[in-house]
Amino acid sequence: MLRAAGGGLRLGAALPTARTMLALALLAFGALRAGSGSYLAVIAPQDPTLLIGSSLHATCSVSVSGGDTPTAEGLYWTLNGRRLAPELSQVLNATTLGLALANLNGSKQQSGDNLVCHARDGSILAGSCLYVGLPPEKPVNISCWSKNMKDLTCRWFPGTQGETFLHTNYTLKYKLRWYGQDNTCQEYHTVGPYSCHIPKDLALFTPYEIWVEATNRLGSARSEVVTLDILDVVTTDPPPDVHVSRVGGLEDQLSVHWNSPPALKDFLFQAKYQIRYRVEDSVEWKVVDDVSNQTSCRLAGLKPGTVYFVQVRCNPFGIYGSKKAGIWSEWSHPTAASTPRSERQGSSGACEPRGGEPSSMPVRRELKQFLGWLKKHSYCPNLSFRLYDQWRAWMQKSHKTRNQDEGLLSSGRRSTARGPTRR
Amino acid sequence: MSQREGNKVDLQSHSSASSFSHLEAKIRQTHSLARLLTSYAEQLLQEYVQHQGDPFGLPSFSPPGLPVPGLNSPAPTHSGLPTLERLQLDAAALNSLSPLLDTIRHLQADLNPFARRLLRRLEDASHQSRALGSAVEVVLGALGATPGPPGPHPMLPENPGVFLAKLLGYRVCGLYQEWVSCTEGDLGQLLRAGLG
Repeated sequence: MLRAAGGGLRLGAALPTARTMLALALLAFGALRAGSGSYLAVIAPQDPTLLIGSSLHATCSVSVSGGDTPTAEGLYWTLNGRRLAPELSQVLNATTLGLALANLNGSKQQSGDNLVCHARDGSILAGSCLYVGLPPEKPVNISCWSKNMKDLTCRWFPGTQGETFLHTNYTLKYKLRWYGQDNTCQEYHTVGPYSCHIPKDLALFTPYEIWVEATNRLGSARSEVVTLDILDVVTTDPPPDVHVSRVGGLEDQLSVHWNSPPALKDFLFQAKYQIRYRVEDSVEWKVVDDVSNQTSCRLAGLKPGTVYFVQVRCNPFGIYGSKKAGIWSEWSHPTAASTPRSERQGSSGACEPRGGEPSSMPVRRELKQFLGWLKKHSYCPNLSFRLYDQWRAWMQKSHKTRNQDEGLLSSGRRSTARGPTRR
Repeated sequence: MSQREGNKVDLQSHSSASSFSHLEAKIRQTHSLARLLTSYAEQLLQEYVQHQGDPFGLPSFSPPGLPVPGLNSPAPTHSGLPTLERLQLDAAALNSLSPLLDTIRHLQADLNPFARRLLRRLEDASHQSRALGSAVEVVLGALGATPGPPGPHPMLPENPGVFLAKLLGYRVCGLYQEWVSCTEGDLGQLLRAGLG
């Protein structure tokens, strides 16, 4: 009979039902028959838990069932399927084979390393699972957010070392700061392996204390306590219905429109927005800040004939009159649009800034010219983009005409020029 | 094969003409289910050994023949038994396996809590084993045979170690594969020989 000598199976205190079911469903085992014999064997210790770098002394003791005479001669050990060097073993007596392992490495699998005692013919006589690892470190960097003030999701990191080689259980706990009992979060791994979601029954206008406890076979650790009010960590869904479109024929501009998140209508807060955009084949985003409470924005100074990806996110603030900002939402799904191609001759290389980034120089120069033009024709006290658009369109038309004239002029000159031929 | 064919069941004598086609359809359906579960059982065993660590996944792994009182592998003489008796044994084994697979799932939930696919497969296997057992009993009922006697209740064991718990799961998953495969064969033989 393969028996547990000492420890037995530690299923965890949280699974009494499983232990009962195991007791009911598992059957009394017959002998593990070793090859042609009928040996019984037991390994001690059973399922030990050890620190990385520590040593282990184990024994495999055979006893008899039937008429065979058991002997420790010929027995050998394997660890995770690999035969251990003979010099690590020692026949302690006629029926006991010893093993000495030093400087143990962390367990290969969370179910424990398989230390097995074999008979001479290779058959398995007994086994024991080793749990070699580290106690947990204090969980750190707890951050929490509430989606639309209805719930709370928290995320943390497992401490500087991270890998304990043992199954480590993380429990997020919370309580109202001034009163109330400890509560335990139930829904784990909602936004990654170290996260938990509290779906309901949260109070507003009162601080919560939140912490994380880490436990494994070698010990436990508790994080620092984070104190927060749900109203201070509110976020929303990303702005929906983000549309990006061209601005008439303007080759360096795109117009972005979106809707405010529906939850904003339910609560007494406003929102500020942020836009980011990038060229299609670039990884660098440009961010437009301070898009206060409006749901549209115009991007200028873009490259003509270029595909841009645009995203928008939202930050609720002014919740119930508070001056505090909330937490930025996730970015909306990227929306793509392209600027019109430039119609100017030579625009394929000469006017575009190197490095592929849109430059603000042409915009500033144009704006200066525009303001000068306005002063000259100052019959429009209220500046508007519509007027700016009209001027831009006029500029492009006049560029085109000028280039065509220059082209005609150049060809005329070339036909009468003396000297080197222009390339 | 010749031994199996010697125990032909005449399906037509067990039913009227109109219900014969219904019976045949039922047997075919159950046979298809058994074939599907045979494939699932193979995948379950492969998934199981991956999570226990070597030597479980090694080609040289030769575990001891861990006996499970009340539930053995199909006997070598199984194929020589009458068809209905074989199906009775199949149904009894499948019904016994269902709670065992569920227990293995609980064990593995503690040993391998992040092995979600393994845990799901074990849960599915527990349900599917019972479903196939019930389907075989329906076929037996339609053939006029009664289900076999239920197996013995398991006894309270001593606390096994973790390694023994891993071996137990390996044994139970292996038994599940053997019995589902055996059921598929028996139903297939019933279709071939019994339908003439």
